[in-house]
Amino acid sequence: MSSSAVEADTPDLVCQLDNVQGMVDALSSVRWKRHQDAVVELSEHGVVLIVEETGCLQAKVYLKRELFLSYEYRSEGRPRFGVSLGIFVDCLNTFSVPGHSSTIEIRYPGPDMQLLLKSVDSPDACIYAEIRTRIPDTISWDYNFEPAGSTPLSFTVKSAALKEAIDDLEWPGSSIQIVLQPDPPSVTFKGEGHGDLQIDFMYYVSTDLLIAFHCDRRVSYRYKYKFLRATTSNIPSSVIKDNRGSKLTIGRGGMLKVQHLVSVSRSSIQHQHIDSAGYQQPSRIAYIEFYVKPEEEEEDI
Amino acid sequence: MKFKAFLTDNGVNLLEKRFLPALDKMGRICHLYLSRDHAIFLHNLLNGDGVQSIAQFRKETLFEDYRISSQNDDRIAFSLDLALLHRALRSSVSICIEGGAANRLQIKLVKKLPPNSRQPTPFLTFETKGYKSAVIQDVPISKPLSRADVMELQSALDMAQDLPQTLVQVPDLVQLQSFVDRLKHVGDLLNISITQYGDLHLQVSTTLITVGSEFRKLRVLGVQAEVPAGDPDMSAQSRTEMAIQRGEALSVQVSMKHFAKSLQCHLAKPDCAFYGIAPQGTCLTVIFQFFIPGTRQTDKSVSLHCRLPVLETGSG
Repeated sequence: MSSSAVEADTPDLVCQLDNVQGMVDALSSVRWKRHQDAVVELSEHGVVLIVEETGCLQAKVYLKRELFLSYEYRSEGRPRFGVSLGIFVDCLNTFSVPGHSSTIEIRYPGPDMQLLLKSVDSPDACIYAEIRTRIPDTISWDYNFEPAGSTPLSFTVKSAALKEAIDDLEWPGSSIQIVLQPDPPSVTFKGEGHGDLQIDFMYYVSTDLLIAFHCDRRVSYRYKYKFLRATTSNIPSSVIKDNRGSKLTIGRGGMLKVQHLVSVSRSSIQHQHIDSAGYQQPSRIAYIEFYVKPEEEEEDI
Repeated sequence: MKFKAFLTDNGVNLLEKRFLPALDKMGRICHLYLSRDHAIFLHNLLNGDGVQSIAQFRKETLFEDYRISSQNDDRIAFSLDLALLHRALRSSVSICIEGGAANRLQIKLVKKLPPNSRQPTPFLTFETKGYKSAVIQDVPISKPLSRADVMELQSALDMAQDLPQTLVQVPDLVQLQSFVDRLKHVGDLLNISITQYGDLHLQVSTTLITVGSEFRKLRVLGVQAEVPAGDPDMSAQSRTEMAIQRGEALSVQVSMKHFAKSLQCHLAKPDCAFYGIAPQGTCLTVIFQFFIPGTRQTDKSVSLHCRLPVLETGSG
């Protein structure tokens, strides 16, 4: 248990982070249920956290090394470990003092393969945590995302509008059809269940909502509502406030990729005042990606 | 058995704005124990398992024209509902203000026949004369405690006065509270260690996670020891373990719920707070101090302290 044992072996990673709330926001956005096991992968480029749901939905949070105040990586391979996402987020939350910017140090592995966290702001008042890690499960299926053709099938929509549309589709529920067509350029979300609901984003009518659109042929896939909902249900309020775009891409076989950007700016107080025009250092962004598999029976129409 | 007094402005202010909100968080029902010189609000002194809290006021702090008489050495004790007391006091105060400065707020013990009942019941009554009206508010109370029960309460109170050998001052109660609020999600049991060097170490541990917080170089009252020379990078756990081995620290485990509750005492706006562990780790004591307004001198006429039951003792 003594700290000297930690120092004897060089840890794979020692990094410092000055915006804990930003990291909490980023990790919370992939927290769609109470008990989730996550796999964390460390590399010289940063930290990636992966969660998945029985082979249908996978989410990744990319925390690039530039997000950290310091990042000392000393491993040969790419160490991976499993951790409970809920515990990790609740624990990080303990370090985030409202109205204060707090700096924490993250270290892996500890003497017993734990993930170690500690606050480093003041030597006389310190918070620390040790999270038990486990050997990660193998990823159940390959989420290699491949483009569907020569032209990417993608659109970028304001995050708030996307969340609102998906929230509204809760009423028909169960299965949601997403249709992209080039003429007229539009995206349609269609729900049929307890009644029908169709939400159209017309590219030329609402360029402020649908920011970008690429599509050379009509495609249509169905996705389970609960998985679609998981992609927006927990996006942090800062993302809605910044209201940049969320990018959705349909790949080979109808695999849907949803990307959000979460600001991890220096101070948690400051980032609430940045409007959509506000400049953000690109390095201070955490990337969130969701991969949703389509429902199987549906083929291209 | 008689009790009658007028509440002073200071008394109204202390009770309405500070102590009643704080005490209400400790538990809705408490004992009010009145003696010739003191009025004391007591929680859980006669039944052992909750957080004990003792708020003691010298009679002049709250009252003027204080009159008390009973066959039990002029001591009266009963239990009451703090939320009702707070409500009655608040509304009496608003009427009193309306009536002007000359009005006084009288509080007395009465026995009345409630509607639809033939059994007279005891009440604590607030009487206010407004500009054109007089308002009486009756707060129902328990039957006054028997002589034997008052004796038991007094002896429990005497026992609760024992001070820990070492007390450390907590720098910022509000900050500690916000930390504990977030720590509550982690686990239900809190380990607390206090060293004679002025270290306070809180830790929650489950099979999956350990979260802790260490405050160092706090002000120490009572038995104090020199900080041993050692590795400055030593972890909080090792430092605490070493201090316990040297006999310069005590460690106990308390319920997280109890600890969070005791922090609610900050609603009484104390000027400082001290934590200490009673000898043999029998309880965790929190002592709140109040200064005479405008000074840094302790106001001895008001005192508030809590005792948290210990679930497990970490050191002998």
